[in-house]
Amino acid sequence: MLTIENLTVHYQVLGGAIEALTSVSLSATKGSTLALVGESGSGKSTVALAAMGLLPAEAKVISGRVLLERDDMLAMTPAARRALRGTRVSLVFQDPFSVLNPSLRIGEQVGETLVHHRGFSAAQAFARAVELLDEVGIVNPAAVARAYPHELSGGMRQRALIAGALAAEPELLILDEPTTALDVTIEAQILSLLERLRETRGLTMLFISHNLGVVRRIADEVAVLYAGEVVEQGRTQDVLRAPMHPYTKGLLAAIPRLGQKKTHLAAIPGRLPDLRSPPAGCRFQARCPFATPASAAPQTLLDLGERHVRCTNAAALRDAVWPAATPMPPDAARSAGETVVDVAGLSKSFTRSRGLLGALMPRLGRDELKAVDDVSLSIASGEVLGLVGESGSGKTTLGRTILRLIEPSAGTITIAGETVSGRPQRALVPMRRVAQIVFQNPDSSLNPRKTVRELLGRPIARFGLAPSGEIPSRINALLDLVRLPSHYAERYAHQMSGGEKQRVGIARALATNPRFIVCDEPVSALDVSVQAAIINLLADLRDRLGVAYLFISHDISVVAHLADKVAVMYRGKIVETGASDAIMNAPQHPYTRRLLDAVPRLDDGAD
Amino acid sequence: MPPEGSVFAPRKPLSPQLKAGLAITGAIILLGLLAPWIAPHPWDTISMRTRFLPPNATYWLGTDEYGRDVLSRLLMGTRLSLAMGVGATAFSLAIGVPIGLAAGYFRGWIDEALMRAADVLMALPPIMLGLLVLAVTPPALWKTALAVGFVYVPQIARLARSVTLSLANEDFIQAAKARAESTSYILFREILPNAWPPLIVEASLRVTYAILLGSALSFLGLGAQPPSSDWGLMISEARSFLDRAPWIAFAPGLAMCLLVIGINLLGDGARERLDPRLKARVKA
Repeated sequence: MLTIENLTVHYQVLGGAIEALTSVSLSATKGSTLALVGESGSGKSTVALAAMGLLPAEAKVISGRVLLERDDMLAMTPAARRALRGTRVSLVFQDPFSVLNPSLRIGEQVGETLVHHRGFSAAQAFARAVELLDEVGIVNPAAVARAYPHELSGGMRQRALIAGALAAEPELLILDEPTTALDVTIEAQILSLLERLRETRGLTMLFISHNLGVVRRIADEVAVLYAGEVVEQGRTQDVLRAPMHPYTKGLLAAIPRLGQKKTHLAAIPGRLPDLRSPPAGCRFQARCPFATPASAAPQTLLDLGERHVRCTNAAALRDAVWPAATPMPPDAARSAGETVVDVAGLSKSFTRSRGLLGALMPRLGRDELKAVDDVSLSIASGEVLGLVGESGSGKTTLGRTILRLIEPSAGTITIAGETVSGRPQRALVPMRRVAQIVFQNPDSSLNPRKTVRELLGRPIARFGLAPSGEIPSRINALLDLVRLPSHYAERYAHQMSGGEKQRVGIARALATNPRFIVCDEPVSALDVSVQAAIINLLADLRDRLGVAYLFISHDISVVAHLADKVAVMYRGKIVETGASDAIMNAPQHPYTRRLLDAVPRLDDGAD
Repeated sequence: MPPEGSVFAPRKPLSPQLKAGLAITGAIILLGLLAPWIAPHPWDTISMRTRFLPPNATYWLGTDEYGRDVLSRLLMGTRLSLAMGVGATAFSLAIGVPIGLAAGYFRGWIDEALMRAADVLMALPPIMLGLLVLAVTPPALWKTALAVGFVYVPQIARLARSVTLSLANEDFIQAAKARAESTSYILFREILPNAWPPLIVEASLRVTYAILLGSALSFLGLGAQPPSSDWGLMISEARSFLDRAPWIAFAPGLAMCLLVIGINLLGDGARERLDPRLKARVKA
């Protein structure tokens, strides 16, 4: 059905070209699902764009063919390619929040292809759109077709996008991270929908994802991309159960799994090679613990029975296990210390004024939204409280309200023995020293105009924690703590990778020697291999410094791995709380059970 | 991303537009500074015998209706026009930036009050506003500069506000609050450095508008006074003789064009160089 042969794509950039894809060959037979996995920069989205004939202007196809049955997408005229996109191939994008036009009704957008490519009238297309919305499992499709995108939830929008993709009656559906922006329970529903559509319509799917759990569930075949090359390809079950390429091994070892609590995750050291001048030999060599002198020679995709592996040593490494990371030795024996954070009856409501009515009659015209509703929790030193919940459940608001970055509506907060609630902001300076925060998005949390030295030096100077002569050595010690070399002190945020930026964010929080840190989704913007390193770092720091964390995450596997206690949040309330293992193994609240059931797993062990 | 191990990416060479901007603007500033020494003729000596001479070997740019050398007047006027443009812009930045930062950061009624006031000012034609400011006092060039600067305060404040609005949502502002930084630290040390690049570009545009508006006010008799050789005044005085002696208006017009282009190139080039995020994007 879809065959990609020897595809090489370069992106023209200032001062050279980036080799985004190098001789990528893939094929998906009719009715099967091929998954492309890889971390950011691996080239997986470039493959999707090439398969759609939608490569941007700065991309140059050096060689290769993209065949749909017998038609070469790259060789045909733009008009023919466009006709193909409206009839035989469709694409579903990652972010259902930005793809839909906010000022057109859902039904118009779903039926758009039919008007352009099949000559339907607007009314016919709208009627067909209602049928399609019904097919993708939308309740009351006629009403939804008349709605505007902002009236729909994320899951409904993604269903509508899939309906729009199906309007063309395509044979091939390309999905670029279709569930990444969604909550796990919604993700599970979308995956079921895709499975059903594949059955009923005989669709061929090219499924792009970084989430191996999702891939395991949906794909027959998987191709692992690294630095623009396919490094391993084979049947999904085989590849995930017994990976042969070292990169695949590392990737799988880096993922925390429910029910398999280890002290440390395996991390992949180093970073992607510079694709402006990629190494001649194995591109993974610099990061590979199994590298041999033979790795320096150019690698070919070896055919090992049902599996293709780009590694000279593949056969020898068949049973090799990715080495586990060694934890830092704790400075002091870890013991459950005294309570650092105590929160009782905390609430935060936001009021939304309803325009003119709200101005005239404040009582009638206001909508009250309880983002945090009567929450009580306590965290001891050296303890991690994991806070899980889906988007909109109030996790972030809770974390920030505890630190008084958002003013609480009711309740008491005590941090390190001092009452924090009910006092003016200027009285909170001592609390600000002992309680810090690490943010989700390292691009947003570091001031782009400041060097690491300024970022780390400011908190020390602000609280007068060291005489100015000692600040440089303090900065070095902090960089050391988060395992960054000391010359990073002169760097700006844009000169670092995502993982490095997040380390600086953690170092900044540690600069004041805090006793409590709110970690607000600190790893969700990062790739799996980097995520593992940051989680290990946080665990080490807890053991060495006895810091208490409130660890907020939507990823239950990550929380289960790191947290001692877990609190499950749903619509502003904590519905279940308890020891981490107890909740993971025997959830009591129905919502917790639903959440745990929805997590896509990598192995059957815990199912 | 710079390659592993390098502390500093090597200093990028100046972009062509920045070079051009520097060259043009630098040359004009230099000519203005050296004007008294390089002007070939006295700029204000009236000579009825040399009226309306077209450009020739003695008077390279010709002479005006009083027989004064256009080139010499142009050179002397450079200083006035530059001082007007730069002075007025500096004034509007000094007033507009703090207003914009405060409005964008505090939101609520502060924002409403400041921005509605700005709307009122913007609703009046700039020339009217300048007249209002100048009408009550005897004219002087520095007052014109202040008036022109005042006219452009709303534009600067609006831009500073919109940049601040998006920056105020960044997590590094939350991080600053989480270490109990003062509001003035957050406004001037966290937000302002990030707001500079668009403000610099806007300011470079404003310099040129300010020169033009200053000239217009001079024309109305509320700025530079004859026999001063402010470029705007030169153009307006030459207006009546456009059919007979177009060169008198042409020379200051061309000079103004060049200065506008030079400053805009400079502003654009500077923005590219100053914004680290833009730099990263070009490199990636």
